[in-house]
Amino acid sequence: MNAQPITQYYRKNRKAIVTASSGLLYGGGWSLGHFTGFDTASAGILILAAIIGGYDIAKTAYYEVTNRTLGIKTLVTLAAIGAIVIGEYWEAAAVVFLFSLGSYLEGRTMRKTRTALQELLEMTPDTATVRRDGDLQEVPARDVEEGEVVLVKPGGKIPVDGSVVDGESAVNQAPVTGESAPVHKADGDEVYAGTVNQEGALEVRTTGAGSDTTLERIIRRVEEAQEAQSPTESLIDRFAKYYTPAVIVLAISAYAVTQNAILSLTLLVIGCPGALVIGPPVSIVSAIGNAARSGVLMKGGEHLERAGKTDLVTFDKTGTLTKGGTTVADVEGFDIDDDEVISLAATAEKKSEHHLADAIVDAARDRPTAATDGGTAVAHSDATSAEHRSVPDPDDFDVVAGMGVVAHTDGHEVVVGNRALLDDRSIDIPDHIAEYVRGREERGETVVHVVRDGSVIGVIAMRDELREAAPGVVAALQDAGIETVMLTGDNERTASAVAGEVGIDEYRAELLPEEKQTVIEEYQADGHVVAMVGDGINDAPSLATADVGIAMGAAGTDTAIETADMALMADDLERIPYAVTLSKATRWNVLENVGLAVLTVTVLLAGVLTSYVTLAAGMLVHEASVLLVILNGMRLLRH
Amino acid sequence: MAVRVLRRTVMNETTQLRVMDFDCPTCASTVERALSNVDGVQNVKVHYTTGRVEIEYDDDVADPDAFAQAIENQGYTPQPA
Repeated sequence: MNAQPITQYYRKNRKAIVTASSGLLYGGGWSLGHFTGFDTASAGILILAAIIGGYDIAKTAYYEVTNRTLGIKTLVTLAAIGAIVIGEYWEAAAVVFLFSLGSYLEGRTMRKTRTALQELLEMTPDTATVRRDGDLQEVPARDVEEGEVVLVKPGGKIPVDGSVVDGESAVNQAPVTGESAPVHKADGDEVYAGTVNQEGALEVRTTGAGSDTTLERIIRRVEEAQEAQSPTESLIDRFAKYYTPAVIVLAISAYAVTQNAILSLTLLVIGCPGALVIGPPVSIVSAIGNAARSGVLMKGGEHLERAGKTDLVTFDKTGTLTKGGTTVADVEGFDIDDDEVISLAATAEKKSEHHLADAIVDAARDRPTAATDGGTAVAHSDATSAEHRSVPDPDDFDVVAGMGVVAHTDGHEVVVGNRALLDDRSIDIPDHIAEYVRGREERGETVVHVVRDGSVIGVIAMRDELREAAPGVVAALQDAGIETVMLTGDNERTASAVAGEVGIDEYRAELLPEEKQTVIEEYQADGHVVAMVGDGINDAPSLATADVGIAMGAAGTDTAIETADMALMADDLERIPYAVTLSKATRWNVLENVGLAVLTVTVLLAGVLTSYVTLAAGMLVHEASVLLVILNGMRLLRH
Repeated sequence: MAVRVLRRTVMNETTQLRVMDFDCPTCASTVERALSNVDGVQNVKVHYTTGRVEIEYDDDVADPDAFAQAIENQGYTPQPA
């Protein structure tokens, strides 16, 4: 028989084999002594059990000592040697066997948390079909060059990041964004490596391959987040540095005082800071891994621990609670044609980059072309719907931040803006117009006035649809005992109407962009731990100010990931309650683990000092507590 | 004959390995120390939580095979990252 496979098998399963042999010898040695009274033989077998099980432990202990780190293995080795020296062979074998068994199980369970992310990486296919030199070639996915066109068959996994150049399909983006519903993809849409093409064939122009894909970047960030120490972890680590030497000093002094060797050896074993140092990292790694698989990127234990204390969540209204696609709901001219109102407003707003301006310009372009003779315009509109009306440039224009624009065109001064802007310029708003505006605002619409040469000629009412999920998300947060606040630049009435629809606790209206930060600071000054949800680009300053900045729809945008403490890969509001409750659960889990560890050590210490607990029992309880905190932490993988 | 030795700029390479069977945080720091004692290794980081091992080394001096050996000597199983 070939020896090669046996050696390989041994190498792979060394820990299990060593633990099992040590356990069998321990059992055999103990029975021999207990049932037959062959004491010398029994002692020999027990010592053998201690040596076989302890060889690897002692070797690591040797490295620990030569490297001047005092770890648990040094303590266990000292305890086992000490027990043999004083003739307690059974204790020595038991300590070694229990410790090996414990570390074997700990290694195995930790592997589960470590591999949680690997599964995501394995989603990316190894090869790609590329159009090269006029024909199709199968090449390793990481060798695809930027700009090359990759073919993805229906049902196939997308091997690279890129944009669709041909074909149409539904793509399941769950590995990257955590969304379970497939997303429709057509010409020009971005696709990500690792996602699954479910319907039609796609041709994708590569923008990133190999390690330069969104999925790989996310996983690298998640790993960095898992490796970063949370405040609790670094505190415990600093504590552990002094703790182990202190335990050795305690054991020596205990021996000096009591002359009881078993007692001081037992102190060495139970004094190992196992559960205390392992618990918090396992909780945090499990939580971050779980979040990553649901499309939520948590930036690290520190951020998680802070997020766990959140008691108030502020939402930016536009694009967060609403879909962000503002459209013109109605145009009303007063003693003037509606068309003229929107044309004039569009010209004035054409050069503005505000989202309301975009909506007005789009609405003007989409109006039927033959505007000048009203009668035929309707009949005409279908035939020429593809033809967009052009919007002329204004002669000049000025943006008044948070209020509107002032422009000149064709010798007229045109003002498009909110009431504040009109008040500012002492433009009188006739009662019937103010009445009309109030009516629209009470429906949650945003209204701008159109003013030509000092008199109001019409108003434009705009609507931004609420996300279907918004009321449910707010309710879920409220159920979790968290206050909710909406921040918006809209006026009081519009804000109040939207807040009512969403069911949010509070709203702050008429905020200029920088005032959102001030509002967050006010809440913080009141003692709240504030989370802010926004799009990560326009809201970047507010996200940075808040204790926990949560960016939505971050898959494609690196800036959002940089500024936020948590980034939702998908534009999916429903992840917010999940992220917040996961953070809270993590914070509790860390506390549970620390509490459990401290309790175990305290009880054991009391037991040792009162001689209820001896070496083997101490080891058993110690190892059990370590396994318990690991398993407790791993519950977060299934939150 | 005088030979002028030009000081060569050292270009450090980096490599990653993965150890899935760390059973305690101190074990990770012990492996970290063992790796930093390998010839030519400039910088090592071993992460207990993810099992990721990052090694920065001088290409001319260090033998990448020695990294895996050093980890195995500590009783752990290195894998390619």
